Amino acid sequence: MAEATVIKPDLDFVKGVMAAGGESLKKCYQCATCSVVCNVTPGKNPFPRKEMIWAQWGLKEKFVGNPDVWLCHQCNDCTAYCPRGAKPGEVLGAIRKQTIKEYSSPSFLVNMVNNKGLIWLIFLLPAILLGVILSADGTLIPNEEEIKFSYLASTLQIQLIFVPAFMFGAIIGILGVIKFWGDMKKAAGVRSGNLGGSISAAAQEILSHSKFKTCGVSKDRFTSHFLVFYSFVMLGIATALGVLYIDILHMESPFSFGYGTPVKIFGLIGAIGLLLGVVLMISNRFKNAEKVGIGSYFDWLLITIIGVIMATGILSWGTRVMEIGGIAYPVYFIHLVFVLSLFIYLPFSKLAHMFYRGAAICFNKYSGREAEAAVQIKTEVIS
Amino acid sequence: MADQDKCILVVGGGISGLTTAVEAAEAGYNAVIVEKSPYLGGRVSRMNKYFPKLCPPNCGLEINFRRVKFNPRITYYTLAQIERIEGKAGNYNVSVQLNPRYVNDKCVACNACAEACPVEVPNDVNAGLDKRKAAYIATEQSFPFKYTIDDASCKKSSCNKCAEACKYDAIDLNMKPEVVEINAGAIVLATGWKPYDASKIDNLGFGKSPNIITNVVMERLASGNGPTKGKITRPSDGKEVKSVAFVQCAGSRDENHLAFCSAVCCMASLKQATYVRDQYPDSKAYMFYIDVRTPGTSYERFLNKIKEDKNISLIKGKVAKVEEDSATGKIIVEAEDILAGGKVRVAVDLCVLATGMEPTVGELKLPDEVKISKNGFVIPGKDGSGIYAVGCAKSPADVSRSVQEATGAALKAIQTIRRNS
Repeated sequence: MAEATVIKPDLDFVKGVMAAGGESLKKCYQCATCSVVCNVTPGKNPFPRKEMIWAQWGLKEKFVGNPDVWLCHQCNDCTAYCPRGAKPGEVLGAIRKQTIKEYSSPSFLVNMVNNKGLIWLIFLLPAILLGVILSADGTLIPNEEEIKFSYLASTLQIQLIFVPAFMFGAIIGILGVIKFWGDMKKAAGVRSGNLGGSISAAAQEILSHSKFKTCGVSKDRFTSHFLVFYSFVMLGIATALGVLYIDILHMESPFSFGYGTPVKIFGLIGAIGLLLGVVLMISNRFKNAEKVGIGSYFDWLLITIIGVIMATGILSWGTRVMEIGGIAYPVYFIHLVFVLSLFIYLPFSKLAHMFYRGAAICFNKYSGREAEAAVQIKTEVIS
Repeated sequence: MADQDKCILVVGGGISGLTTAVEAAEAGYNAVIVEKSPYLGGRVSRMNKYFPKLCPPNCGLEINFRRVKFNPRITYYTLAQIERIEGKAGNYNVSVQLNPRYVNDKCVACNACAEACPVEVPNDVNAGLDKRKAAYIATEQSFPFKYTIDDASCKKSSCNKCAEACKYDAIDLNMKPEVVEINAGAIVLATGWKPYDASKIDNLGFGKSPNIITNVVMERLASGNGPTKGKITRPSDGKEVKSVAFVQCAGSRDENHLAFCSAVCCMASLKQATYVRDQYPDSKAYMFYIDVRTPGTSYERFLNKIKEDKNISLIKGKVAKVEEDSATGKIIVEAEDILAGGKVRVAVDLCVLATGMEPTVGELKLPDEVKISKNGFVIPGKDGSGIYAVGCAKSPADVSRSVQEATGAALKAIQTIRRNS
């Protein structure tokens, strides 16, 4: 008798995927429509058809070092064309969440971020942290006449809280990527490649959103992601300029020079871009809900965080300029809480995609897999 | 016997309806066939071959037409539509509107009217691949064997050329619709199916190239009485078809289109692969499938025979993209070859979409006792109903199953009449 392959299904993994937004998983009947309509999958061993059966069978180990779930941009062309309503796009999103748990440690933080019931805790923790530090310094309730956000949180306080928070998120993310990279190499049997070239090619792809652009049914998502992505870049630049003004040029915030200066320009463009981007993101989801589903809690949590950052950012600026201190300070506090959440949960929330998708895109070039196109069969008859 | 005066009304004159009527009549009961088109025989009359024996449908149809023609217990109405059904089991009153044929029984099918007719329209029998006149006969094997004048395109008395050309006084362009009332003891719905509209499947390219056709059109292309006299050629330029791809489940087993399996398409495509292979020994055929559904010994044997042909490739993986290569006119179909583990793109001369069956029974005005499922089929009735569905009015079925069901339905209808007499 031939040797039998023993499959060891991990039922908890299946349940986890189904609970995390992939409840339609079991409807898949392996027709492979999804792999064909997908514009971002490589030709050889394309996704998401194979991921669907692996997940159905609970073959958790197949997802260790699997770049494909991250090459998926959730365009949802697969979901729109799926003849069974199995929603491969949503399922892969749920699998990604499971993968985040594998690579971003401590994994209980992923579980916490994922747990709808704990949403209050997600924001309460950074709020308490911030509240305690600020009140210890006696600045939580400023009472000066002129509204200056530095009365609430001084530049030093901001730097002392936010820089470590950011480092915490970034380092865990980078450690996760290193582990993921090793697993991908092992799984694909790739020993070496052109790392520098791959990184630069991946950076080009990410900066230009060139793959994202090829999405079909939800091509509008390219626009919204592009806007949000570059708005964050702008806001990042504005923040860096702020640091430059304050720490190196020893100026005081709010900067008294007008709106024509770089820090203000970047900040305003970033804020407007973020507003448009978030509004588009939400409206796209509602517009395509019938065809591709509205998204999971995980998706909405990130949209909420970014949305609140955007809204409170704009509102605190507006109320400060209009000198409504009773609103400006609380709004600014909420703003800080959400920015802090964004940083702390960087590798645990959906934002972790910037680490793992980035790594997967890079690996796809490194391993040469991206170049593998569909097999062309010529049917010329030789006579 | 008085109860035998009550007739069995059969709605639809395709293979299911014909069989029901013939079986009931030959058991001694009166049957009335109401057919909406000008001819009996339905979709089977447009097929090239039956599977799995690959014999021509005419042999089966011809014998049924003969049984209909010579059995005094069978009445049939063509160009007839159900207006109203009232009553209950054992006593249904049905109004049937008879639309004018403009041709009477004196017709000898000499073709003089068609020759004289100045109006040309796309030939619906051949899915518009050729033209016909407004005065026409569907095929040379049509039953009843007389011409018909298409009400929609004919200019009637303002033209009158056909009436002038007819030597037999067989044309009457002043015919008016009539209504007949039928008292029936039981009703059998044998309304059949229509091919699913392939243009609704936007990723399979139907309508973007004439070389992307449906399986129904393929039957016409291969039929000796079809638009090409049976030579399978590319509709775009008439070139021989040296490679063909069959796209299974084109709209079937798909929640976005027909949620159910249409039951016949796998066997139909395997059969059609033999059409091409027989005509062109150096041709290649590809069939892309989710599952090959060929249940039963004889169908399984047919599949195994097909598999022996090295020039027919069966590829597991549904086609989800079909495009035309503008340089060569070839059709490129794309699928994931699941067993080989990669996407494949195949360039072929002709792409056949194995479109499924859409039931048409829902288009009828039916009494409340008949329930239609969300897929459009009749849900088998409760006890006490005298209305039965058969063939593709009940579920997707091939000819042999339809015929078996029709025989059963004839018995059910007879029982209803006996029980209520």
